[in-house]
Amino acid sequence: MTPGKDFTPYAPRPATLVRKVRLSDFVTLFEFEQDNGRPLAHKPGQFIQVSVYGVGEAPFSISSRPKAGTNSFEIAVRNIGSVTSALHALPVGAKVGIRGPFGSYFPVQEFVGKDTLFVAGGLGYIPLRSLLRYQLRHRDEFGRIMLLIGTRSPSERIFVDEIEKLSQRDDIEVMETVDCVGDSCWQGNVGVITTLLPKVRLDVENTYVAMVGPPVMYRFVIGACVGDQCISPERIYVSLERKMKCGLGKCGHCQINGVSACVSGPVFRYTDIEPLKEAL
Amino acid sequence: MSAYIVYQDQLPGLFRLWAKIYKVHVPVQTAPGFYDFAPWEPGGEVAWDYDLTVNPLKRFLLPPREDLVVFDARDYTAKGVFEAPQQLLFGVHPYDLRAVAQLDQLMEHGSPDKNYRRRRDNTVIFAMEPLRIAPDAFWSTMGAGRADIGFDLYWTKIGPATFFVEVGTARGEELLLAGGEVERASAAHHEAARRTREATRRHADAHGLKFPWQELARVMAKAWDDSIWREKSSMCLACGSCNLVCPTCYCFDIREEMDETMTRGRRWRQWDACMLPSFALVAGGHNFRAKHLERYRHRYFRKGKYIFDMIGEPGCVGCGRCIKACTARIANPLTVFNRLWEEYA
Ligand SMILES: Cc1cc2nc3c(=O)[nH]c(=O)nc-3n(C[C@H](O)[C@H](O)[C@H](O)COP(=O)(O)OP(=O)(O)OC[C@H]3O[C@@H](n4cnc5c(N)ncnc54)[C@H](O)[C@@H]3O)c2cc1C
Ligand code: SF4
Ligand code: SF4
Ligand code: FES
Repeated sequence: MTPGKDFTPYAPRPATLVRKVRLSDFVTLFEFEQDNGRPLAHKPGQFIQVSVYGVGEAPFSISSRPKAGTNSFEIAVRNIGSVTSALHALPVGAKVGIRGPFGSYFPVQEFVGKDTLFVAGGLGYIPLRSLLRYQLRHRDEFGRIMLLIGTRSPSERIFVDEIEKLSQRDDIEVMETVDCVGDSCWQGNVGVITTLLPKVRLDVENTYVAMVGPPVMYRFVIGACVGDQCISPERIYVSLERKMKCGLGKCGHCQINGVSACVSGPVFRYTDIEPLKEAL
Repeated sequence: MSAYIVYQDQLPGLFRLWAKIYKVHVPVQTAPGFYDFAPWEPGGEVAWDYDLTVNPLKRFLLPPREDLVVFDARDYTAKGVFEAPQQLLFGVHPYDLRAVAQLDQLMEHGSPDKNYRRRRDNTVIFAMEPLRIAPDAFWSTMGAGRADIGFDLYWTKIGPATFFVEVGTARGEELLLAGGEVERASAAHHEAARRTREATRRHADAHGLKFPWQELARVMAKAWDDSIWREKSSMCLACGSCNLVCPTCYCFDIREEMDETMTRGRRWRQWDACMLPSFALVAGGHNFRAKHLERYRHRYFRKGKYIFDMIGEPGCVGCGRCIKACTARIANPLTVFNRLWEEYA
């Protein structure tokens, strides 16, 4: 498709809500289908801008894996402001506008033949899920897959059933922890996500890290060493959120020092952002 | 490059011709000592000797509010909006031209901005050598005293009623010759223009940066933890005036509104300002630049380093508008840059 004379990257395309799944008190999974019938053609880690007309537009990571031959894709949204609450109020069958996919992505080809350690803090599992599901789909091409998940409290856990199923598989190692238990009947690990690190045996020379969560988590994990071996920062990929408006590197909102997070990010190799004072 | 000689008495005729095709804007005095670009009117005064206009040119190319998309909320269709009036800006000083040349590059960089491009394509720029220099200006030492690209014609006043007009584009030449024959410039005219410009330059160079602007990014790179950011920003009112008047500030917000039927609406961009507290504020209350210091520093780093790293010249053209606009008297890039030079040269 060659864009016509009046094509503009600012005009959203219609997509239809086909499924809504409640993931926690505040987070819902949305499955959409592009009305043009085409696949979204995204790469793991990329995001889209979603519009509810009359309310506005907001960026969300694409949570499903890239799928050829289908026009459907998923996002998972925390209800926290105007666009996100408007999305939560939409009935199945309703339409939204989408722009994108935008931004950088996890370099999947680089991960081939290597082990991958996923570190998901808070809602970090949402963007990581796209890469994880891709790897599980092409399981033979990758080495070990390890998934660490840290959530503040048991009630904030998302994708609970899905993660339960993953932990029953023998081709992925799943470990989960919560910061504090509250009054639930949580039986699992308690403590911040870094307390899980010593429990995984890593072949550090052969492992890539894909990590999404709050910046404090990054600082801890990046400093972490297993025994006397440390994870090489060149093989650590993180995703950084900023305020985003245009998604095109123009509006200036997402800048981390001189870098536009919407174009050069959201996914960065850790060593590329290490010199940026505003990154973490 | 070809050049012509135009006499003052030929101008009204030319303006009338241009105004048939273009919305023509010229510098005028709006109050004693204050100037701005305004639509040309037959018989109206042109402020030939203005030193600085209150507003830069960006409003002609990146308006304060510009529609991008119209949408229909019933079927979720959306369509681009491109508005690009035919306009001619007469009497643009070189530093403002330089700022436009920067916008040209930055808007084209990566994903080309079609709305900007179309406006720019429909905008004729007739530049003019300044006859007076604003007290706060330091453009000459920022490398913005002479623009060699971005103009259609370049006018230099070389006598009481004589202009030396250098051709920048074929479109410019055509407009100049639209009214009939125009005298070709002689070698002596070329020499007179060169001398006029040299005099302006000498005068302009007397005030400004104490070091070659080429060194700016290198100096900035060392200045992240400098005490100047705290010192200056402690007085900042976070009003965003410095962003507003700056010819090279182009950050924008995107907003939308439904019409009265609640079925259709429009989405537009409007100027935003990195000095405003809300600029990097996200849902849930986290602010990526919550402190005055962080926002103040960011603005100077954009001017002195980030844009420099992208296009090889400072993102400040030294017009001095922010100096005048800042009621807290802290937005002087020259003071900042010169002090950092003293510390880190
Ligand atoms: C690359 C990226 C990926 C993201 N992925 C997800 C995701 O998968 N799931 C999820 O729940 N949230 C995600 N977010 C955060 C999400 O974009 C915000 O929660 C959302 O913008 C809030 O919009 P609102 O209108 O509900 O909030 P309001 O506070 O009403 O915000 C108004 C407007 O400000 C801007 N804005 C506010 N907060 C943010 C923010 N955090 N990031 C960018 N722009 C913002 C948006 O344009 C928004 O429409 C992501 C953000 C980024 C930058
Ligand atoms: S920073 Fe100030 S002096 Fe520099 S271009 Fe902007 S308004 Fe002019
Ligand atoms: S004009 Fe002055 S007071 Fe206002 S935001 Fe800029 S530096 Fe701060
Ligand atoms: S979102 Fe506009 S520049 Fe990145």
